[in-house]
This record gives sequence, C-alpha cells and structure tokens, in this order.
Amino acid sequence: MIDALTANILSMVYIIIGGVLISWSVHFVPVGGAPAAMAQATGIGTGTVQLAAGAGLTGLVSAGFMMNVTDNLPLILASGAVGAMIMIAVTMIVGTWVYVYGVGCVPSSAKVKVDPITKYRQDLYVSQGTEGHGLPTVSFVSGVIGGCLGGIGGALVYYALIEVGLAAGLTAGGSSTVTGHELVGIAAMFAIGIFFVNAVIPSYNIGGTIEGFHDPKWKKWPKAVISSFVATILCAVVAVIAISQLGGI
Amino acid sequence: MSAGGSGGGAKGGYPPQTIMAIGAIGGLAGIYLGHFMPPAFSFFGGLGAICAIVWGADAVRRVASYGLGTGVPSIGMISLGMGIVAALFGLSVGGIAGPIVSFIAAAIIGAVIGVLANKVIGMGIPIMEQAMVEIAGAGTLAIIGLSVVIAGSFNYGDVVQYVVANGYIALIFIIGGMGILHPFNANLGPDEKQDRTLSVAVEKAAIALIIAGFASSLHEGLMSAGLNIAVGLAIWAFGFMKYYGFIKRDAHAVVGTGLLPSAEELQ
Repeated sequence: MIDALTANILSMVYIIIGGVLISWSVHFVPVGGAPAAMAQATGIGTGTVQLAAGAGLTGLVSAGFMMNVTDNLPLILASGAVGAMIMIAVTMIVGTWVYVYGVGCVPSSAKVKVDPITKYRQDLYVSQGTEGHGLPTVSFVSGVIGGCLGGIGGALVYYALIEVGLAAGLTAGGSSTVTGHELVGIAAMFAIGIFFVNAVIPSYNIGGTIEGFHDPKWKKWPKAVISSFVATILCAVVAVIAISQLGGI
Repeated sequence: MSAGGSGGGAKGGYPPQTIMAIGAIGGLAGIYLGHFMPPAFSFFGGLGAICAIVWGADAVRRVASYGLGTGVPSIGMISLGMGIVAALFGLSVGGIAGPIVSFIAAAIIGAVIGVLANKVIGMGIPIMEQAMVEIAGAGTLAIIGLSVVIAGSFNYGDVVQYVVANGYIALIFIIGGMGILHPFNANLGPDEKQDRTLSVAVEKAAIALIIAGFASSLHEGLMSAGLNIAVGLAIWAFGFMKYYGFIKRDAHAVVGTGLLPSAEELQ
C-alpha cells in the first residue's frame, strides 16, 4: 500500500493541483441560484455545484476523448479546458437569451457601478428590489475563465488516475466488449467523486450567489482553496491505493 | 441568501441515534446478507441501501435545517462524492471486511471535510462535523448496497467488472444521491415533518432498488432481476402510500368562502 503511494507521488501531486484548480474555478462561475432563476440576481439560475459539475464533467469527457489518441499532457489539458469552456459559454449565452428576450430585462450587475470590461454603467439598469439580473459581459468572461480552470483541473485529475492505473499494469486502450473497460470506468468515477467534493466545498464558501471575479465575495477564495487542498490529499491517497489494487485482480 | 432551511435545528420525530443505528447496522447487515446469500437474494443489498438512504436523508434534514447558504442538492452531491471514493477504496483493500473499511474511510473523510467547513470556511453550523460523517457513511453504504444488487457480491473484482466497467456506477451515483438529497429538498419549509420526509426517502430508495434491479439482469439473469424489481415495487408502493397519507394529514384544509358579494348585496 505504502509503495503504491511512493511510486505514484507525481500523480498524487497532479490530483491535488487538479482539485485545487477545480475549487478555485468555482469562484469564477457566475452563480445566481434560485434568485437568478426569477431574474432577481445576476448570474445563471442554478446552484454552484450543478454548474461546476456540468462544465467540469464535460471537460472530463473531452479530455478522455483526447486521451484516446494521445498521451501528451498539454494537449489533454487543452482539450479538457476547451470542452468545459464551450459548455459553460453555451449555458450562459442561452441563459442570456432567456433573460433578455424571455424575461425582458437588461443584463446588469448590482455589485459594481461600471462593468470593468465594457465600462458600461450598471446601476441605472438594475430593477428596483433586485440584485441585478442576466449576465453582463464581465460575468460572462469570468464564467469562461472558470470553465477553463475547472476543465484543466478535471482533466489533470483524470489523467493522473489513468497514469496510476497504467503504472499498475493495466491497459487503457480501446475496448470492444460490451462490458466496457475497468481502468477507464474506475478512473472516471474517482475523478467525478473528487470533482464533486471540490465543487461543493467552494460553494459553501461562496454561500449562494457570486457574480464573478469582480464580486467582493471572490476575495474569499483562499479559504476554499486551503480546504480543498486538505480534502484532496485524502481523496488522492485513497484513490491511488484503490487503483493500484486493480492491478492485482 | 439562505436557500432551504429556517436557520435553526430540525425538530421532532425519531431521535438521530435511532435513525443512525437503523442506517449503519441495517445497511451493513443488508450488504453482508446480499453478499453471502445466493445471487437470487441480492435484493438484501438493496434493503441495506434503503436503510442507508433513509439515514442519509435524515442527516441532510438535520444539517440543511440550519440553512447551508446554497441549495440542499449540494450536500447530496458531496455525500456521494465522498461515498464513491471511500466505497471503492474500502472494497479494494478490505477483502471480506470491505464495507466496514469503506465505512471507516468515509467517516474519516467526512470528519475532515466537516471540520474544514466549520473551522476554515466558517459555516458555523454546530452539527456540521457529525452530519458530514453521517452523510459520507450513508452515501458509502448506499453505493455498496446498490452495487451488491447489481453484482451479487462486493468482491472488488466483481464490482469493478459488473458495476464500474459498464458504467452502472454512474447510475448508482445519481439515484443514490437523489434518494439522499431529494426528500428534504422536496419537503423543506416551516411545516416540514420528519416522518413525511423519511417516507419520501423510503420511496426514492425503492425506486433506486427497482432501477438497480433492471441493471442486474445483465449479470444475474432475469429471475433474480425480477425478484429485485418485485421487492423494490412492493417497498415503493408501501412508501408512496405512506407518503400520501402523511400529505393528507399535513395538508391544510381548503375552506370555501363563497363568491365575492355582488354590488346589490353590499348596499
């Protein structure tokens, strides 16, 4: 058990970096929660975990797709990042259509007076009694940055777990049987488990809604990153041992 | 924003210790019965999962009553996230003691995350540490229980081959999570009652057993799959009728007040 850990120290470092990146990325995603679903807060109208998981798991799938053809780490990370960025961007643009053409409100932030990117005035357009609505440009850009970081984090965790399995003597090549592939399945499930743990911890840190990197709450990120760092060490130890055991059966 | 929960502790109903005992002992007993009995009796794993899911739903109810700041689903997701990591670890190193090793690993991970949530992030929920331990343990037992339904045993090799490699683990992940997070999410509010919430947990867990029963037909054959589904359907019907009864008990009476008076009547 101990030699499995010492032999895979680099993979564990990758898993921990990945977990920390996921935790940090959640702070960039403009999450509005239930108030945003009623167009009473800026952001996408669902919870942090759902958004982070949606984007991150898409990144995981696209990273896995890239791993099918190459084992070049930068390419795999890029594929994961692009997959997650596309997913979060599509979610945000469709959300914006609904807010603008369906609800009929102007995308505006209540946390800043002027959008830091477009320099447009925000406070004039915030409806009375709401904390902003829709997705102003700065939130959109922030969300894409969050998707990028989350996708890189998810891909890094998945890549490291596959590497642990390969070191234990398993293969990750294409499988043609109906029952699928052991290593890919177990690495994917551990990656998803680690992803959810690291998506929920920052969501408790944010506590409901966040608009993006211009939000004052964004400055709380070190707390969540430290928590995720500790939690991911535990998960990494457990995951590396479980996958190493797979070589023996 | 305090989404879900009134900001205080949950009140009334069975004490937490009772539910905890049902969940932990019932869950482990079901898993071991399902493992040692012939494949046709793998539904015992599902009964264990039902005990664990009821326990998890009760723990979610107690912790989410304080108001998590984010939605209730998040705690169900972290439950299954911790659960899946701990379950596969325990089964890989534990051999015959696998579920117990998983359970202990889940308790350790849960305790660490609970302490981090209170001390580092500063959520300030008094029962956070205990609740995280309980939720992680319940998620772990739910995953192993439903895996036993599909694979017929909890040998690491069997679980990896029949549950993980073909992707059924993703199904278990989300239906187990639904069983734990949905009952409180559906019933929360000032008139939330423990028996009503937990009857939804039984009903959701029975649906999980039915779906796992369908999945078990691939490996265990149609006979045992049929038995799994039949047991699940019976428990689902029982849970649903119970829930319907509690709804009728708790629903407020609708009193007819008549039509608005007309202009002549007002004069």
